[in-house]
Amino acid sequence: MDAVSLIRAGQETDTPWRFRLDELGWRDMVAALEKDTLPFVGLWCDGTDVHALFMLSPAQPLAATLALEDGRYPALSSVRPVSSLYERRAYDLYGAEGMWAVDVRPLVDHDVWSATAPLAATPGPAGGHKGQISFQPSDALLAAGGVNAGAGPATGGMETPLHVAMAVAGETITQAETVSGYAHRGLAARWRNSRLEDACRLSGRVAAGCSVAHQAAFCQAVEAACGSAVGPETSLIRVVLLELERILLHLHTLAGLARGAGALVVASRCAWFREQLLAESAPVIGSRLLMDHCVPGGTSLREATGLGDLCISLAKLGEEIYPGLATLWRTYPALSVRLSGVGKVDATLLDRVGLDGPVARASGKDCDGRRTQRVYQTLWRLTAGRHGGTAEDRALVLLDEIGESLRMLGEAGPRLGLTAGGRVDLTLEDGEGLGMTEGPWGNVLYWVRLHAGRVAQVFVHDPAPAALMVFEETLAGQDVADLALVRQSLGVNAAALDG
Amino acid sequence: MGLIRAVFDAAFRQGGPRLKPVGPRWPLLLFHVDTGGCGGCGMELEALATGPYDMEGAGFGFVQSPRSADVLLVTGTLTRTMAPVLEAAWQAMPKPKGVICVGGCAMDGGYFPENYSVLGGLDRKAKIDLQIPGCPPSPQQVLDGLCSLFGQRVPPARGAQAEGSSSTSS
Ligand code: SF4
Repeated sequence: MDAVSLIRAGQETDTPWRFRLDELGWRDMVAALEKDTLPFVGLWCDGTDVHALFMLSPAQPLAATLALEDGRYPALSSVRPVSSLYERRAYDLYGAEGMWAVDVRPLVDHDVWSATAPLAATPGPAGGHKGQISFQPSDALLAAGGVNAGAGPATGGMETPLHVAMAVAGETITQAETVSGYAHRGLAARWRNSRLEDACRLSGRVAAGCSVAHQAAFCQAVEAACGSAVGPETSLIRVVLLELERILLHLHTLAGLARGAGALVVASRCAWFREQLLAESAPVIGSRLLMDHCVPGGTSLREATGLGDLCISLAKLGEEIYPGLATLWRTYPALSVRLSGVGKVDATLLDRVGLDGPVARASGKDCDGRRTQRVYQTLWRLTAGRHGGTAEDRALVLLDEIGESLRMLGEAGPRLGLTAGGRVDLTLEDGEGLGMTEGPWGNVLYWVRLHAGRVAQVFVHDPAPAALMVFEETLAGQDVADLALVRQSLGVNAAALDG
Repeated sequence: MGLIRAVFDAAFRQGGPRLKPVGPRWPLLLFHVDTGGCGGCGMELEALATGPYDMEGAGFGFVQSPRSADVLLVTGTLTRTMAPVLEAAWQAMPKPKGVICVGGCAMDGGYFPENYSVLGGLDRKAKIDLQIPGCPPSPQQVLDGLCSLFGQRVPPARGAQAEGSSSTSS
C-alpha cells in the first residue's frame, strides 16, 4: 500500500483529512514514504500525540496522528530529511523522542532555559549551562576537520540571530552548519490557549517581512476551523497586502544583495524605490511592515476605502521606476558576474528538503501556491523561472516577481474600487482548520485548533527550516566572504524558525 | 533567572556618564544586536541606514564590532540564549558606553514577555539611556529618537558639528 492509503486506513477523526494511526500503521507509513513522493509539510507534537502533515495536492491536506508511547514515536527524518528539524524541536519542547531519528542533538534548547521540555505535562529542571552556549558539531563537520571559523549571532548587521559554525580551508568553507535557538521566543507556548486576537498578533511576528503571509494564513485557518470563509472582496484585499509585502521584502532583499556584491548604486536605488512605495502605502494601510492588517474574519486598514486608488497609484509608480531599476540591475557592471558565482543550489537538494518559493523557482522548479488559489485565478500568470540556481538567478527571479506583483496591484485596484471588504462574524467552535498563502519566500501554512473559544494550538509551516538545510549544504565550497550573500539570497531567517 | 540577573548586574554596573561627550566623539557609533525579536526592528534599522534618511549626516553610524562602538543598540526581546552574547558585546565595548533599546520587545518584552526561553526586555534589568518605542518604530522615529540624545530635532547638514551635551532619556 502507498503512504496515502496507509494513512487513510487509520481511524477517522473529527477533521476529515486527519487520521489516527496505531504504531504499526505509522511504521508502515514511514516505510512507504521511502518510495513515495508525497510532499511533507511538517511534524509537531502536542504532548499527547504527534502529528505529521502532508499535501496530496496543493490544496488537499492529509495528516496522520499517533499517540506517543512512553514519550516516543517512530521518526520521519530517515525518509523526509527536513523532519529532522521538527523532531529535534519536538524533543526540546516536549521531550518527545523520535525513534531512529537521523539527528538527536538539541536544536533550540541549549541548556539555558528555565525548564527542559517546557511544554510537557511535567517540565524538567532548569538548564544548568552558564555563559555562552556550546554545541556539538555533527559528524560531517568533525570529519571535515572540525570547527575553525564561525559567524554570528551578533555581527552588528541587521539579520536575525544565528550562528554558523564552519570548517574552513584557506578562504573556502569545506563544511558548515548552523546553531539556532537564539531567536526562539516560544511561540508554540504563547499560542497555547491564547485569545484569538493575541494569537493573530503573534503570527504577525513570527517573521517580519512575511507578516501578511503569516497572518492571512492564520486567519484562513481560523475561519476554516469555524466553518466560515471571508467574501471575495476581503480575499482580494488580502491578496493586495500579500503582493505589496512581496514587493517590499524582495526590494529589501535585493538591496541587501546589491550592497553585499558591492553595487551600492543599485542597492540605494532598491531601497529608495521601496521607500517611495512605502511613502504612498503606509498612510492608507496604517503601517510599513504590514503587521496586523489581516484579522480573523476580515481585514483592518487605516483607510480601507482608499486601497483601490492606492493600488492604482502604486502600479503607476511601478511603471515609472521599475523598468529603470530592472535595467540597472541587469546592466550594472560586474553585479551579475559577482552573484553568478555564489550559492549554487542543487535542484535535487530542493526536492529532498522540500523547499519551494523563489529559491526553487530559480532552480528550474515550477512551483507557486498562487497557481491554484482561487482568488488569484484571473490575476496570477505563469512567468518564466530560471534554471541556474545561483544567487544571480534568485535575484533575477525576485526582480521579475516585483514586476509581476506591481502588475497585479494595477489589476486589483479597479476591481477593489471603494470597497472596504467587510467583516465576517466568527462563531468560535471547537475544531481544526488549515490556511495557506504563498509568502515572499514560499508557502506559509497554518494549522489551528480551536477549543473553548480560544486558540488551543498552532502549527506553522514556513520555508525557514528547509531554507536552513539548503543554506547549510550550499555553504560547502563557498568563499567565507560570501556567507552573508548566500544567506540573504536563500532567505534564511532565524526568527521564522520559531513556529 | 538568578544567574542571568547576576550577569546583568555585573555587566551594567557602570559609573560616570552614560554617553561619551558629543563634540569630539561625533559621530556616535552604534553596535546593533538583535536579541531575539521578529526581525522587524532590524529591518527598519536597515532602512534607516541604507535608505534615503541622512543618518550619517545626523551623526550616527553602525559599526561591525563592539570594540569600536559607543552605544549598544538592542532590538528584540532578550532570549536566555542571547543574554550571554549581549553581555559579551557589552564587555567588549570601550568606556564610556551606553544602551539604546529600539522597539517594544527590547524595552519590556513587547509581545514576547518572560517565559522559559525569554527574559523579556532590558527594562529594569539594565540602565537604559534611550528607549524608542514602537512595534516596530519607523526609521524616522528611530532617527528622531537618536537625535533627541543630542538635544536636537532636525538632522544637521552633513559635516556640521552637533551641539549640546549627551542626554539620558528613557
Ligand atoms: S518590537 Fe515588534 S517589530 Fe520589533 S522585534 Fe519586537 S515584535 Fe518585532
